[in-house]
Amino acid sequence: MLRESATAFGYDVDIAAVGDPSRALGIPGGDELLRFVDTIMTGSPDELDSARSAIIDHLGPESLVDAASVFGNFEMMNRVAEGTGIQIPRQSIERMRDTIDVLGLERLLRS
Amino acid sequence: MFEFDGSPVPVRDGLKNAYAAIWGHLGASGPTMISDERIGLARHARATRRGEPLPSVDLPESVLALASTLFVHPGRVNEEIVRCAADEAGDAAAVEAISIVSMLSAVDGTHRALGAELEPLPEPSPGRATGNIARGLKRRRTYLPMPPGAIPVAFDLLPDVGEVYRESYGPQYMTEAEMAFSGFRRSPGLNRAQIETIASRTSLLNECFY
Repeated sequence: MLRESATAFGYDVDIAAVGDPSRALGIPGGDELLRFVDTIMTGSPDELDSARSAIIDHLGPESLVDAASVFGNFEMMNRVAEGTGIQIPRQSIERMRDTIDVLGLERLLRS
Repeated sequence: MFEFDGSPVPVRDGLKNAYAAIWGHLGASGPTMISDERIGLARHARATRRGEPLPSVDLPESVLALASTLFVHPGRVNEEIVRCAADEAGDAAAVEAISIVSMLSAVDGTHRALGAELEPLPEPSPGRATGNIARGLKRRRTYLPMPPGAIPVAFDLLPDVGEVYRESYGPQYMTEAEMAFSGFRRSPGLNRAQIETIASRTSLLNECFY
């Protein structure tokens, strides 16, 4: 999804940055968005305040709400997937093979 | 309700309305649980995350364990934990428990991300469990019965629950129609590539392929 949408907007995305935020993602505001997710999960309140301010400064106040609600949505979707044991279709795995390899996601696939 | 006190930015009405709908659903009796049990399950999950004393809830321990593990450490849930709850309480009760903490995770997650105070859980309302459970569904190499299809139908063993769940991700993420368009953008707001950046990193940190 990330690769296709980045292509649609003409961005030269480095997918590996999703797993290694020290790399540049290549999407406007992308590095701030990655840091935002990290600080929600593991950051201090001050770090999270700073990450929110960075999104407001780079992308605008509405984008902070979008980023927060997408985070909330995937907190939900991840639990739906883990709780029900839903399988990833084989076609999806093949289509995403390069992303799986770059991010080391093979370990997350249920057999 | 859903004033998002503490958020540094105003929150759009569509998102507030979506969360109010989840809260209305959570506070009503469900397919297998009465309202008191549903709110108790949500309270138990929140208390587990905060490390607070756990409230007494009149549900099997295996169901509470499934719900709390899924809420706090989703990557640790496996087939054994889910089957244990389903064997003791039934498939429908296991799906109901998963649905409650999954939707609670969305609402609480957005509040945490915005730095807003968590919304107090709704007050329980009277009424018996609805018993609205679909018949004839099977496990499809999944832990629990569901129709064929992808993640949007995961809760369709419980038709009312599945509907509330599906309605929630348009305002939070994208509608199914918007998902078909790689060039989607909210205006003002994030474009699809930026949205998928958040989605990808969240799933990776949750140790979840989705």
